[in-house]
Amino acid sequence: MSERITPAMVTSSTLSDLTSSLASLERTTNELSSGRTILEPSDNPYGASRVIDLNSQLEGLGAYEDDAQDGISWENIASSAMSNMNDIAQRVRELVVQSANGTNNQSDLNTIALEVEQLTESVKQDANTQYAGQYIFSGTATTTPPYVSGPEDEYKGNAETVSRAVGPGASVTVSTNISTLLGNGEAAKDGKLLDTLRTIAQHLRGGTAEDREALGTTDLTDLDTNLETLSQLQAVSGSATDQLRVALTRNEDLQTSLTESLSNTEDTNVAATSIAYANEQAAYEAALRAGATIVQESLINFLQ
Amino acid sequence: MSIPTLQGLQTALSGLISEQTALDTTGNNIANANTEGYSRETALLEPNTPLPIPAISGHTGEGAQLGTGVTVATITRIRNEYLDAQYRTQNSALSAANTQAEVLQSAQTAFNEPSDAGIATQLSNFWNAWNSLANAPTSEEAKEGVAAAGKQLAATFNQLSAQLSTVASQASEQYNSLTGPSGEVEDYANQIAQLNGQIKLSEEAGQPPNAMLDRRDLLLDKLSALANITVSEQPDHTDTVSFGEAAKPLVEGTTVNWPQELTEASGGQLGALLNLTGPKGALAALGTGLDEVAATLASTVNGQLAKPFFSGATAATLAVAVEPSEVQASGTKAAGGNEVALAVAGLRGGAAEQGYATLVEKVGSDVRGAKDDQTTLQGTVTAINDQRQSVSGVSLDEEMTNLISFQRGYQASARTLTVMSEMLETLIEKTGAVGL
Repeated sequence: MSERITPAMVTSSTLSDLTSSLASLERTTNELSSGRTILEPSDNPYGASRVIDLNSQLEGLGAYEDDAQDGISWENIASSAMSNMNDIAQRVRELVVQSANGTNNQSDLNTIALEVEQLTESVKQDANTQYAGQYIFSGTATTTPPYVSGPEDEYKGNAETVSRAVGPGASVTVSTNISTLLGNGEAAKDGKLLDTLRTIAQHLRGGTAEDREALGTTDLTDLDTNLETLSQLQAVSGSATDQLRVALTRNEDLQTSLTESLSNTEDTNVAATSIAYANEQAAYEAALRAGATIVQESLINFLQ
Repeated sequence: MSIPTLQGLQTALSGLISEQTALDTTGNNIANANTEGYSRETALLEPNTPLPIPAISGHTGEGAQLGTGVTVATITRIRNEYLDAQYRTQNSALSAANTQAEVLQSAQTAFNEPSDAGIATQLSNFWNAWNSLANAPTSEEAKEGVAAAGKQLAATFNQLSAQLSTVASQASEQYNSLTGPSGEVEDYANQIAQLNGQIKLSEEAGQPPNAMLDRRDLLLDKLSALANITVSEQPDHTDTVSFGEAAKPLVEGTTVNWPQELTEASGGQLGALLNLTGPKGALAALGTGLDEVAATLASTVNGQLAKPFFSGATAATLAVAVEPSEVQASGTKAAGGNEVALAVAGLRGGAAEQGYATLVEKVGSDVRGAKDDQTTLQGTVTAINDQRQSVSGVSLDEEMTNLISFQRGYQASARTLTVMSEMLETLIEKTGAVGL
C-alpha cells in the first residue's frame, strides 16, 4: 500500500518548512544588519575565541601605539632641551676662546663671567624641563626637579631609567641620565659641565695669568669633553626616538593585518550574504505561495 | 423451499444499520480530523451467519447457503504500536536536547560575548588602564583609572558568576516543579492509572474503548518528553510504564509509584536537567572554568605587586582590595618608576585571557552541540510522527470517498427494502384475489 498522506501531514510539513525558511531568513537578516557572522559563541565557537584573542591583541597594539607616541613626545622634549644645552655650551666655548686670547681687560672678563653664570643657570633650567608634569631628567624621581636654581649644583634625581613598552616584552628607555653630563657641580670637582662652567666663571673673575692660562687650556679641554658627552647623550636619545618610530610603524602594520584577520573571522561577507538573502527570500515566498494554494484543495471542493 | 418469508426484510435492515454505523464512524473521523492523539477508526463489517438451504435443486440434489446480511463486528482504531514506541524513544531524546539547548543558551547569553560589555572587553580596559599608568606613574587620574577598571572587571566577574548560578538554580527549580507533588509526572501517572482501570473494565465487557486508548497513548507520548519510558501492555489491557531509571514502574495497573529517585541517565527533560545541574554537569564546568580564570587573573596581577590588588580567588568573590591612592606603578623606586605598571600591563593576552577565550569557546561548543542534536532529533521525530500520521491520521479525501460509498450503500439497502415490501404486497394483497 502506498503511504497515506493526510491533510495534517501536509499542514505540519508546510508549517515546518515555513518556520525553517523564516529562521534562516532571520539569521541572514541579522548577519546583514549587524555586519557580523558571529553573534554569539555557538555560531562559531572557535571563531568566537579567536575574536576575543584578536581583539585583545588589537587593544594591546593600540596601547603600545599610545606608549610609543608618548615616548616620542618625551624624547622630542628631551632632545630640544639637550639641543639648548648644546647651544649654550657652544656659546660658552666662544666666550672662553675670546677671553683666552688676552685682548680683554678684567672688566670685560667680569662681564663675560656674568654671562657664563647666567648661561649656567639656563643649563639648569633646561635640565628641569618637564613633560606632562614629569621632570624628564630626574631618572624615576620625576616629581623632583634635578637641579635647584642658585649656586647649589647637586643632582637631586636618581640613576634609574624610565621606559615605554612598545610591544609584548619589548620596551625602550626614554629617560636620559643628565647627571653624566651635568654632574654635581663645583663642590664635587667631577669635571662635568656644571663644574666646568663654574670653574670657567672663576677663572674669568680671577684675573691672574694662571687663570687666563687655564681658560685657554684645561677649561677648553673640559668643555670639549663635555660637548662630546652631550652629543653622545643626544645620539642615544635620537636612537631611542628611532626605535620608537620603527616600533610604531611595525605596530601599524600589525594592526592592519590583525584588523584584516578579525574582519575575515567575524565580519559578514556582504556580497555572498546578500545573494543568500535573496535566495532565502525567494524560497520563503515560494513556500508561502505553495502552502496557501495546496492546503486549500480537497475532495470536498469537487463534490456536490 | 424453506426460506423465511421476511428474511429479505431482515437482510435489507442489517444493511441499513451497518451502513449507518459506518457512516457514523466516518462522521466521527471527520469531526476528529484535527483532534490531538486521535486515531482514525473503521467499522469492521462482517457477513451474518448464512442460512443453510438443503437441496434447492431437485435435479442435482445440491444444497446452498443463503447470505443473511451484514453486521458490524467491531469499530477498531488504526494504530501501529511499534511506531508509538519509536516515537517515544526519539521524543525523550529530542526533549533532552531541547532542554540542554535552552539552559545552555541562557548560560551563553550570560557571557554576553562578543560584545563591548563582556569580560574580554573589561580585561582589555583593565590592561589599558595599567598602560596609561605606566605612561604617567604619578598621575592620580591614572591611578583612579586603574582602580575603576579593576572594580568594573571584578563586578563583571561577580555578575556572570551570579547569572550562571541563577541558570543552575532555575534548572533545579524546574526539575522540582515537574517531579514535585501535583507536578506533571504525578499528574500524567495518575491519569494513566485511572485510564488503565477504565480500559480494563471496557475490554472485559468486550467493548474496545478507542477514545480512552487514544487518551492513554497521548498521555504516554507526553510522559516520554519527561524521561525515557518503556510501556508493556499486560494481558488485562493495562499498561505498565517504567520511567527513567526509577527502581519501580511509575504506573502498574491502577497503582502509581511516585515520587522516586531519578538519575542523570534517565533521559528526557528530567534527565537533561539532572545532567546539567549535576556536580560534573555543563553548568558546574562553566562555573569552575570561570573561577579558574578569576583565580589566574588575581594571582598573576597580585604576583607583580607588593600589595595585592585583587582579593578573592573565585569569580563570585573577586574584588579590588586597594584604594586608588595605593595603586603603585613602581615597587621600590621613586615616584616616576613604572616597571610594575609595565609588568602588569604586560600580562595582557596572558593566561587569564586565554583561559577566558577557551571558556567562551567551550560554552559556544556546548550550545552548538545541543542545537545540532536538536535539529537532527527534530527531523527524526517529525519523520516518525509523519509515519504515525500516515497510519492513524484522518484523510478527509478518504473519508469523503467512504462517505459517498456508505451513503450509496445505505440508499441501495433502502431500495432493497422497498422491493421486498412491494414483493410482500403482491403476496398479501394480490394472491387469492382471483375472481374477487
